[in-house]
Amino acid sequence: MNILIVEDNKELAIEVRDFLSDGGYVCKIANTCNEALDEIGGNDYDAMLLDLGLPDGDGFDVLKAVRKTKSKIAVIVITARGGLDDRIDGLHLGADDYLTKPFALTELSARLFAVIRRMHGYTLNDLVVHGFSLQLQDYKVSYEGMPINLTKKEFDIFQYLVLNKNRVITRLQLTEHIWGDILEINSDSNFIDVHVRNLRKKLDKHTTIDWFETVRNVGYRINT
Amino acid sequence: MKIKHQLAIFNALTRLLVILVLWLMLPILVENVVYRHINNGLVEKKKKFIEHLNQNEIDDFIVNADDSTETYSQFSSLHSEFLVLSRLQKLPNQEKTTFVNENRIIEGEENEYRILQYHFTYENIGYELEIGSSLAEVKDLTFIIKLFIIIVLVVIVLITFLADTFYIEYLLKPFYKIIDTKIRRVNEPEAFDHTPIKAHSADFRELDSVLNQMMDRIGELFKKEKQFISNVSHELLTPIALLKNKFENLLQNESLNDNAVDKIVSSLKTLDMLKKIINNLLLISRIENNQYAANEVINFHEIVSGLYEDLQDRIDDKEIAFSNKMEHDFNFVGNKTLIHILLYNLVTNAIKYNKEKGSIVVSDGFLNQQYYLSISDSGIGMNETQIENIFNRFTRINSDQEGQGLGLAIADSIASFHHIDIKVTSKPNEGTTFLLLFPNSIKA
Repeated sequence: MNILIVEDNKELAIEVRDFLSDGGYVCKIANTCNEALDEIGGNDYDAMLLDLGLPDGDGFDVLKAVRKTKSKIAVIVITARGGLDDRIDGLHLGADDYLTKPFALTELSARLFAVIRRMHGYTLNDLVVHGFSLQLQDYKVSYEGMPINLTKKEFDIFQYLVLNKNRVITRLQLTEHIWGDILEINSDSNFIDVHVRNLRKKLDKHTTIDWFETVRNVGYRINT
Repeated sequence: MKIKHQLAIFNALTRLLVILVLWLMLPILVENVVYRHINNGLVEKKKKFIEHLNQNEIDDFIVNADDSTETYSQFSSLHSEFLVLSRLQKLPNQEKTTFVNENRIIEGEENEYRILQYHFTYENIGYELEIGSSLAEVKDLTFIIKLFIIIVLVVIVLITFLADTFYIEYLLKPFYKIIDTKIRRVNEPEAFDHTPIKAHSADFRELDSVLNQMMDRIGELFKKEKQFISNVSHELLTPIALLKNKFENLLQNESLNDNAVDKIVSSLKTLDMLKKIINNLLLISRIENNQYAANEVINFHEIVSGLYEDLQDRIDDKEIAFSNKMEHDFNFVGNKTLIHILLYNLVTNAIKYNKEKGSIVVSDGFLNQQYYLSISDSGIGMNETQIENIFNRFTRINSDQEGQGLGLAIADSIASFHHIDIKVTSKPNEGTTFLLLFPNSIKA
């Protein structure tokens, strides 16, 4: 998978690139609109992370230009503006998803996964981890053919951890993933623990899950 | 009172004053004219009488020449005029004519007369001639004239009052049009209509153009603020994103000891709080800067049940009984995301400040034909001073509670953006009710 990161803050671009490279993506960075357009013209990218505030113009202009070409590149708009109108404009112009700064890198990888999956017409295989298979289109999990009944929140948590396997996921990241961003209340919520505890109980019935690790004071990690 | 009524009443009053003065002066005017006319007539008659005067005639007039009171009198049959000639005891010093008004009884009938008195000497004998003309007719006439004038004046006052009212209304029409189209209906400078209002008065054209200029300036400021908000968001949130991502990557480092991990996690929490404060302040600014469209039909049932689903963990955690008693289908047009945030903030507050095993009731209904949504909790409640301050930014009832105290400030901005009234009633230790009164005008 080739990813183009269009971001004018070089340090941030590098953080994102390092993270995605660890996940097996091949990344290239463009710092301006023109660089981005040059890159897209000359190479075949699967997805683009597009920041809107660029030094030589608005990211939306890049999006418009790209959508005029035959390129089927998936675009995730990343912005600090966060205005709802921007979000709607972006989706109108053909963005596939929208992420507001600051975002968790794990959230980015989950979104990227979903966007790429959609681009390929959901033909990608189900996620499999230690014998558990996650059927992404209908939110079902099974263990060696036996279905496991999970709530939507439990499924979302499981999928998020699997997508970001071998990484420590903080409670904060999980909370934000499950409940979104508008919460004023306790970011340090223990409610996520309740759901994780229930999820683990349901998985534990089928096999040992010592790979489903609780990281003290931080969060959780699924090891492979 | 409107200016058209004030002006019309003022005009009517000044006219009435003029009429009153005229009316008071009328008797004097009438008497002057009438008396001059009568006097002329009397003088005319006197001339005729004196011209033809000779001794025989005097003798004819005065029957008993020896009698000192001898008089001659003659009067018309209707007693409208009379003539009296009498001999004076002593000679008058000179010939003189005077006019007096006196009551006379003629053949038993008393009338007021205008009387010419003329003293003259004829062949060394003094005479007094009196010629009278009745004033009864004149009095009648004066009365009729007064009545007629009064009626005419009243009619004139009424007609001019109506004419004034209509004319002033016509003149003021552009004024109300300006108020209506340029001021009242304008929520944001971008929606301002710059087409000049047609007005016949230069004053209103000026008002219109000044308003246009003012709106241009405000629009400019709005644009600048929008730009500023956008810049602030970008400049502040990009470094936060960078820090957050760095910390998150750092956390994956296996060689970190527990102490370092704790510090990173707590830094992430602080960053998260910072992000939320910035986002919430920006949200308030954007709402107040009218950067949101309000054109979605909103289904409150959907939002409330969605909220319950989202917040069920927290509700169950405190063993709160949540009951949704909504029973009306009210269609409200607004911004769905903002309304969601508004209700979300009220419900989370109801959870946050509730007691263990308390209750939350969401209900709706109509109050004075206005739809309302009410969210009541059985929480810790507030006193009067606390209620006054809850919508201020960074206010918290209880400092042990989490959050930044922006939830209700946001709720307040969203409500005023949608012209929703929030009414708060609360009793310490019994609970709080938030009542949202929705405007009817934007009803779909």
